[in-house]
Amino acid sequence: MNYTEKTKLIQTRAAALLEAGEVSYVLGWGATRFADKTRARFARSPEEAATLVYNEHCTQSLAKYLVDDRWPETRIAILARGCESRAINRMIRDNQIRRENLLILGLPCEGTDAERCRSCRAHDPVVYDELLWEPNSTGAAAAAELSRYYRADAVDALSAAEKKAYWDDVYARCIRCYACRNACPVCSCRECFVDMHRTGFQGKRHSATDNQTFGVTRAFHVGDRCIECGECERACPMGLPILAQTQKILKEIEALAGDYEQGLDAAQDNYLGAFDLDDKDDFM
Amino acid sequence: MGINEATTYEPKILAFCCNWCTYTGADLAGLNRMKYPANVRVVRVPCSGRVNPQFILRAFARGADGVMVCGCHPGDCHYTTGNYFTRRRFMLMKKVLEFNGIEPQRFHARWISGSEAAKFRDAVTEVAQVVKALGPAATKVTTQASSKAPASADIESSVQKEGAL
Ligand code: SF4
Ligand code: SF4
Ligand code: FES
Repeated sequence: MNYTEKTKLIQTRAAALLEAGEVSYVLGWGATRFADKTRARFARSPEEAATLVYNEHCTQSLAKYLVDDRWPETRIAILARGCESRAINRMIRDNQIRRENLLILGLPCEGTDAERCRSCRAHDPVVYDELLWEPNSTGAAAAAELSRYYRADAVDALSAAEKKAYWDDVYARCIRCYACRNACPVCSCRECFVDMHRTGFQGKRHSATDNQTFGVTRAFHVGDRCIECGECERACPMGLPILAQTQKILKEIEALAGDYEQGLDAAQDNYLGAFDLDDKDDFM
Repeated sequence: MGINEATTYEPKILAFCCNWCTYTGADLAGLNRMKYPANVRVVRVPCSGRVNPQFILRAFARGADGVMVCGCHPGDCHYTTGNYFTRRRFMLMKKVLEFNGIEPQRFHARWISGSEAAKFRDAVTEVAQVVKALGPAATKVTTQASSKAPASADIESSVQKEGAL
């Protein structure tokens, strides 16, 4: 099935749902004035449903919008690929949204033109109410071209001095817009440490060290719940390779505790929110 | 510090000590008149589980050359489970620091009970030696760093470079 046919299917189903008043809106993608870019679109009427699009440029993951509408009057329909579905699971686990408020239209995905999609191991949605087309027949994990931790691996390969230089360069360019924080579907505190001006958790001036303190802290807050959607990196206006930070955390958790992947179901614990009596430590 | 800062470098070490064990241990070291390097500044925390990873980053950014987190032995935490969370958190934090170009030898975590005054002395002495040998940390925020914002042409080219990584 090609993207035109898939778009048609989405539009028809969305129009039917809106016509029947089953959902208050359908959250999907719409065209922009650039041919190779799409953006989130909220279709509220059957006419608007006809403007939904679906193609390889749908790089934005939609799940984060759900926290802006926690108590909808009627259900929200959301188009969900692997990444959206894992984010939804994690958000339900974190008590951010309720499953019964959602109608999840599952879209088995082939990957978009974003780089991170080439490392994706879960193209098919893991939670949905209906699938709009057949799931991928091949195992997604086998099909991934890039290794799961491709960004972190690249930094791990550097020497200590090179790592320092690498991050100094990256964080000298960070403008601390906090777009990475806003875009992340698992980042959900009502008041963020970066906004607590009085307590001064966070230096305000533009310096690589303060920016890095922010970047590492952000990664630590979400790292063990990261569903590897890459939204943080997509949102970054400076194009910084910040996915490396959370990938590193997941990579180390896996080294310490074995297989670890978030968002697979809505009951999973996160690593730092639990403990085991015989956890390893190499300090005394 | 002294006038000849360059020749008489003494590291600044920040130690977060849990109120119920390590802080008492440090107190006991004092009562017993044990000698340990004066480089260490102790911050008393209710439990080692109180120590937020950001405290460590913040300490480095504000001029610490080494940071220690000390608490009760696993099983002895006054709040029963606090230090089990500490253990997971700082095992991970150590790797994250290294990944971010901060020498892992600058960060230490120790379990030191209220009666282990000698262990406190030894730990502090060891950390002071290790950190002194490493020299000053490069993480301190300096005002010069703010002039590092590159011209937009540099940003373009480096963004493309990043894309290739
Ligand atoms: S940290 Fe980045 S990759 Fe991980 S869940 Fe948040 S936005 Fe997605
Ligand atoms: S989105 Fe990029 S520039 Fe903005 S705060 Fe995050 S890392 Fe910095
Ligand atoms: S009270 Fe000492 S570690 Fe928790």
